[in-house]
Amino acid sequence: MPKVFEGFTVIELADRRNQFVGKLMSDSGARVIQIEPVTGSDGRFTGPYVNDQPDPNKCLDYWWYNTGKESLAIDVTRLPGQDLLRRLLATADLFVESTRPGTLARYGLDYATVSKTNPQLIYASLTDFGQDGPWVGYTMNDSAHLALGGQMGSTGYSEPKTTPIGGQGRQAYNMASIMMLHTITAALFERLGSNLGQHLDVSIHDCCAVCTERAVSYWMWYDEPFLRQTGQHAAPTYRTSNQMQAADGRYAIVTTPRFNQNSWVKMIDWMKEKGVAGELEEPQWMDEFYRAEQVRHGTAVADGIKRLIATETAEQVFLRGQGMGLPWVDIRRPEENFGKDHYKERGFWVDVQHDEIGKAVPYPKGFYLSDELGMRPERRAPHLGEHTSSILTKDLGLSTAQVDILTSTGVAR
Amino acid sequence: MTGPGLPPGFLNGVRIIDFTWYAVGPWGPRMLAPYGAEVIHIEPPHQPDDHRFDFRPARGINAKDQKVWQEEGSPPFYTGPYWNQLHNGKLAICLNTRHPEGMRLLHELIKKSDGLAENFSGNVLDSWDLTWENLLALNPKLTYLSTAGFGHKGPWGGFRTFGPSAQAGSGLTYTSGLPGREPAGWGYSHMDIAGGWIGGLGLIMGLLQAKRTGKGVRVDYAVTEAAMSLLGPYFLDFQVNGRGTDRPDFPPGNHSEWPGLAPHNTYRCAGIDRQGQDWWVFIAAETNEQWEALCDVMKKPELLTDPRFATNEARVKNQDVLDEIISTWTAPRRRYEIQDVLQSVGVIAVAVQGAEDRVDYDPQLRHRDVYPVIQHPEIGEFEIEAFPPKMSRTPANNSLRSPLIREHTDYVFGELLGMSEKEIAEYKDQGII
Repeated sequence: MPKVFEGFTVIELADRRNQFVGKLMSDSGARVIQIEPVTGSDGRFTGPYVNDQPDPNKCLDYWWYNTGKESLAIDVTRLPGQDLLRRLLATADLFVESTRPGTLARYGLDYATVSKTNPQLIYASLTDFGQDGPWVGYTMNDSAHLALGGQMGSTGYSEPKTTPIGGQGRQAYNMASIMMLHTITAALFERLGSNLGQHLDVSIHDCCAVCTERAVSYWMWYDEPFLRQTGQHAAPTYRTSNQMQAADGRYAIVTTPRFNQNSWVKMIDWMKEKGVAGELEEPQWMDEFYRAEQVRHGTAVADGIKRLIATETAEQVFLRGQGMGLPWVDIRRPEENFGKDHYKERGFWVDVQHDEIGKAVPYPKGFYLSDELGMRPERRAPHLGEHTSSILTKDLGLSTAQVDILTSTGVAR
Repeated sequence: MTGPGLPPGFLNGVRIIDFTWYAVGPWGPRMLAPYGAEVIHIEPPHQPDDHRFDFRPARGINAKDQKVWQEEGSPPFYTGPYWNQLHNGKLAICLNTRHPEGMRLLHELIKKSDGLAENFSGNVLDSWDLTWENLLALNPKLTYLSTAGFGHKGPWGGFRTFGPSAQAGSGLTYTSGLPGREPAGWGYSHMDIAGGWIGGLGLIMGLLQAKRTGKGVRVDYAVTEAAMSLLGPYFLDFQVNGRGTDRPDFPPGNHSEWPGLAPHNTYRCAGIDRQGQDWWVFIAAETNEQWEALCDVMKKPELLTDPRFATNEARVKNQDVLDEIISTWTAPRRRYEIQDVLQSVGVIAVAVQGAEDRVDYDPQLRHRDVYPVIQHPEIGEFEIEAFPPKMSRTPANNSLRSPLIREHTDYVFGELLGMSEKEIAEYKDQGII
């Protein structure tokens, strides 16, 4: 079966906000042409680099977010560059861009204009605030979105004077990119029937703002603002933390559920083995209703679990807890997952050849185990301008002499 | 809102069987409803979905007309505010899949559907004898999305997670926090929502693929793998440079690690919120122009010639001192005032907003209609969080509501599966539906 996006051509105007969209499409079979400035996309200059030596072709962040794409390095702020982009859009299925609203209209490359030539084009604008609104001119980055969108407001420690925290790894851009790709896929589905494209407008701020679980509905319904808390969901009051420290100093996420009889007996046996059962050994705790009441109103169970966790390694907390049907998982560093048989058996690590360093590098495969969708990186990210010549000559029919002129005048690289 | 009453949309005619619960599963099908898909949420008889319950009257700005259940003294099965979010736009039935007749009805429904989504722990569908092979035999064009913390295949396939533990296993929790402290993680189940959206993406990708190829699509979705796929550069840094995240300066709090930028942090402002937590503003300068503009606004031109702050590299090296200087300036000022004045000169500066800020004071979200008012036949009118994408020609419908318990029994069993009123009554009596 072909990959899900096989046969679609995507033109992506390079931007750190949208590069995940193109990566996921490329990994899923689309031909993705990334148009970047002749000096290189911003994404090439974030680091980390191979051996920490800055090099636009050896930026690991860029490698991750741009697998399988082709690089066309042209200056779209200049007229010849705009013309090349216009010609590519005339036959493309998709255009993904993140420019400030109004920028492309000045070049005659806005949706209203280009859709006259290519009515099937799906024109996807993934921007900080969408196409309109009072804050549309604000300058932002990923952390700023987590602050303004509510992620930070809910995240931190159980200390009212300590800073809110935003997660690392460009998670605002990631979540908006997921929403944009969902919208793109919906538009492709719709186009199968209508044979028409359309303009998609996804705002990173809108996406972040609706991605804080219950915080908004609790304010709307109950007038209850949330407290940030360590190892626990933000909530109107402080609650027992789900994050407990194990004997090896590592942490695990450990809930205190309403145990069924089987899980309870197993856990008490475990506690006895470790000599930490305390009062929980007493007969009244075998009564499910008594236990449920205590879990709801007391701390004896949570305290007992805390004692137990302190006697085990975090890994054992995970394995034995899961053996009892409990959703307990140790807090791992990302790289600790490389050694796990589970992910090996699922084929989660996919080798991508990197001649720049003379070896293949295992990449996370992507979101799904699905032969039918086929999402997995197949080729490394492109070098700067690696495909400029071939795209200009083969796709756009330029002569070598024309390409030379564009290169020598700094329009292309 | 029976099936034929679904709003017009390009997914009219697409039918999804929705066995999802908790939070990560329901998002996938829910993301299709605004486009007109018929999503049939199935609950076991006598065991309504957990999210239907939140036995407290709304007393905030929302839900203006609750007289029905306040007068009757007991709440109906739809009062949980999050229920209205997770199951918005769906139809609802109850079906006992443990009864042979219930299973037969499910088979009939599968034959008439395009997709099936579930997030049971372990291999519940296999235990119902609904293996992928058997699902395909019933419906060769079916898209089947199974969501589980560690997926179905593999030694941890039956393991259980909820949002925070899936985040913990992936590395997402570890990468959030202050250096030298325990992890801060995420103050909500990020992988229930972002992870739910990823499930939704898999579902619609499957529907597209099935439509293009005419063949069924199976998506074994492990939430931990999705979360790891949101952390790609960390894995590459470890493999290529041998650098792990077990180091004293990691995680970097709100500082920027890649690229190294300073200033880039949260700063305490004047005022506290209703819970007594300090108010904060996030400020970053990514260019020298922004740095100069920040110094100008703070009226501290001397910083521009201070060798500790003259270049970005120097500022990164001395960012703790720099943070102190900026904090001194922000401390007596209001957060939105700082946001306004710095944004007006192109500096990244935004208030750290909570829910109240977003709902009541964020003009951008109001402008974008992110909190539309919807109507519910028994709760009245109230606001919800919109499904945010905007499609120019085929927009998402943001006026939908969540279903009442068993609201669509007659449509699904009568109209769709052809059962008579008498049969429906008999099946109800037997606890099958």
